[in-house]
Amino acid sequence: MEPFILFELAGTTYGVRSRFVQQIEMIEDAASVPNAHPAVEGVVLVRGQVIPALNLRTRFGFERIERDLRSRLVVINTGNRVVGLVVDTAREFLKIPAESIEPPPEALTGLSGHYLEGIATIGERMILILNLDAVLDLEYEVEPQISQMMTDGR
Amino acid sequence: MNNILVVDDSPTMRRMVITSLGALRSVKSTQAGSGLEAIERLAIEPVDLMVLDLNMPDMHGMEVIDFVRKHQAYRDIPIVVLTTKGEESSRKEALAKGANRYLTKPFDPRQLADVVSSLLKAH
Amino acid sequence: MDTPNPDNHGEFFDQFLDDYYAECDEHLVSIRRALVTLEDAGTVDRALLDNLFRSFHTLKGISGMVGLAAAEQLAHHLESYLRELRDGTLTLNKPGFEALVAGVSLLEGVINARRNDQQIPSIDEITVRLQAVSSEPTTGEVAKNDVAPTRWLVEFTPTAELAERGVNVNSVRARLQELGQLVQAKPVVKGAGEIAFEFIVATEADETAFATFEADGLTFRPAPVEPAPQPRDTQPVPTIAPASVVRVDLDRLDELMRIIGELVISRTRLEDQLTELKRTTPAAAWRSLQETSQSMGRQLRDLRESVMRVRMVQIGEIFERMTFVVRDLARESGKKIIVQLSGGETEIDKFLVERMMDPLMHLVRNAVSHGLETVAEREAQGKRSEGVLSLSAMTAGERIVIKIADDGRGIDRNVVVERARARGISHANSEIDDEALLDLICTPGFSTRDEADRESGRGVGMDVVKKATEELGGRVSLVTKVGEGTTFTIELPLTLAIAEALIVSVNGQRFAVPQSAVREVLEVESASTSVLENNEIISYRGKVLPLLRLARVFEMNYQRETSFHVLVLGEETNAVGLAVDRILGQREIVVRAIKDPLAQSKGIAGATELGDQRVVLILDTSALRQLAITAKH
Repeated sequence: MEPFILFELAGTTYGVRSRFVQQIEMIEDAASVPNAHPAVEGVVLVRGQVIPALNLRTRFGFERIERDLRSRLVVINTGNRVVGLVVDTAREFLKIPAESIEPPPEALTGLSGHYLEGIATIGERMILILNLDAVLDLEYEVEPQISQMMTDGR
Repeated sequence: MNNILVVDDSPTMRRMVITSLGALRSVKSTQAGSGLEAIERLAIEPVDLMVLDLNMPDMHGMEVIDFVRKHQAYRDIPIVVLTTKGEESSRKEALAKGANRYLTKPFDPRQLADVVSSLLKAH
Repeated sequence: MDTPNPDNHGEFFDQFLDDYYAECDEHLVSIRRALVTLEDAGTVDRALLDNLFRSFHTLKGISGMVGLAAAEQLAHHLESYLRELRDGTLTLNKPGFEALVAGVSLLEGVINARRNDQQIPSIDEITVRLQAVSSEPTTGEVAKNDVAPTRWLVEFTPTAELAERGVNVNSVRARLQELGQLVQAKPVVKGAGEIAFEFIVATEADETAFATFEADGLTFRPAPVEPAPQPRDTQPVPTIAPASVVRVDLDRLDELMRIIGELVISRTRLEDQLTELKRTTPAAAWRSLQETSQSMGRQLRDLRESVMRVRMVQIGEIFERMTFVVRDLARESGKKIIVQLSGGETEIDKFLVERMMDPLMHLVRNAVSHGLETVAEREAQGKRSEGVLSLSAMTAGERIVIKIADDGRGIDRNVVVERARARGISHANSEIDDEALLDLICTPGFSTRDEADRESGRGVGMDVVKKATEELGGRVSLVTKVGEGTTFTIELPLTLAIAEALIVSVNGQRFAVPQSAVREVLEVESASTSVLENNEIISYRGKVLPLLRLARVFEMNYQRETSFHVLVLGEETNAVGLAVDRILGQREIVVRAIKDPLAQSKGIAGATELGDQRVVLILDTSALRQLAITAKH
């Protein structure tokens, strides 16, 4: 049983281990960083540290949307890196038993690589568990459309 | 050049008085924060007029008037008392001891300047 | 009700408002200190009462002058009450003391309300209370000041030379006060008409204490036995001698820093010009010019460091203010609290003090209101009836460590976790450690607005405490045990990487440019630029200055303005002009590094924020110049 923080992106639910989540903030405007990867919205100041705000929609190739009151910055601290992820909403906290998490299907792994650690099934719900190292490594291409379709996302 | 000694234990008050007298010609000011300091100034430099508060630490303004009026060298220096509104008896006492004018706070800066100017001229 | 100065000289007196507030602050501090002493001491000291009387009297006077009627009237009532106490027609009792304290707090409130342009609170209730205690005719003996063994008569004759040396009636007074009790200070006229001052000091010190006196024109001899001093002679409570402390506005220090920044730029220009002169100047002469320029550089550096040191204040000042607050709160709640202070002399940058004052005060208020229990509760637990609040500070390497500890209830994890759950903040269980507990308490929304308002009236909550600390690069931590107490530890870096910077706007975005990299600032009309070999240039000091447009290097959109500013960067021979739309101002900034590769970019040296929580990027001018060169080709 491990606690996870869940967030939504383009209709799909993703999860990250809560021990990697330093905090969840409302987003303030990020200062745009010149010549940065298009998925990097800019930098924000969190706990005295200047960290990048990575727009996950852009990262995953989804259409960007207008920010609203539910948008959140999920600040991830992997021990090596501290990065903020811009997501649609982030409100849930869930304990997921290890047994409910299955490795990503073969078909997926081949196409879009290892950005997913696994997929958790809780009753009717499917939650995509992110592999943060891959997500934060921008050398790494990510194409989640296929996995979205598999989990009935829009 | 006339030297005006401004005596009050509040620095803000002193600044206000000095600024009020700023427009007068041939006038410079010196400050003292207590009765003792005021008398020390008298000893060290020539003073042509005093603007004097009454309620001050370690030497009350009235005692300053007494001291100044009792001694030959300073007997004729014009003294303008500028103090918080008090009783009528205080006014009489100050004038009886030899103060030339008695003004109360809050004061009218123009009036103060006029009073000082006319006292200096008469002197 | 507050009416403008009735004599209609309002505008005249408004220019003195800053002085007024500063003087009020000073008086209020000394009043607070006196009240604390009054509360602690068993007997009532007449000198203390007289000082209080005079402080209220002065506050009444200057408040009247600036037209703050509420303060004037309140000060008047306080002054009247003090007059009776001082003259012995009334003795100080508990309701009287409490009315005094309440009156002083309200006076402070009225002055601050005017300062912050808020509604002035009503003074009616306190006025009634003060009048009530002033009219209780109880007689009592005013404690006489004790007289120590030997009395000496010291005579001081002032002269202009002595005054120039710093030996004047005030300094002599201060010296004698250090020796013992000053019983008399009066002017006399000597035989030939010169003025002298006669002091009578009662001291246990022997003649050797007066050894230095003769050099300063002072004579001394045993004093004749004199009757007790008259009512108008008083002994001021020992305060810091005026000569040794100067009150400094932080704004003035900032101004000093700004001027120093300009001096640095001028000196750099001087260096450039010297370099140009080298060819045409005799070697020896040039070398000596160069040495002068360099020693100026060193002196500027020293000057800058000295001014920065002036910004250091002792943390004891904050502790003292906290002590007043604790006493007020303790009195209101009926709790008994002892405040223990240590490390008050630890120095901390004034910038940090301003940012941390409210958060630290919040922690102290919490400790008193929630941490420490009432006398009854404490005794029931077998604790001593007085709660202990300890404030300490010390430096540890490059950090200052401040601790606020109480021996009260401690924080109950179960309660916190329950509330977090109820508020939907977290689903942690009660086995969380101290660090997680702190995180919960500091989550925005953990305590309701009502609570925050009631406690501090300003909406400073634990979340603000954490945020303020972390923004300064510091850390908050917590140790707590139910039934034993709680300790908050705040660590702050002693030195912040602070730099002077010009804040500019380019294509709608703000950037910071380190002042030290900027040689000069020019105003340029678009029409006066030309193009040479595919680069935009302008004429500068008879030479060609290539322009650097951030839009080209940073791939931003840009619009041409009709006129803009150019920051000249770099040495004479490879200088470059950075084109900016507007210069927004000059600021001292806290430099923060950008550590994550995702956000790093050539041409960006770091980031800062200007107080509005929004990040502003700091330009790396040498990298930009490199980029300009490569962008050309």
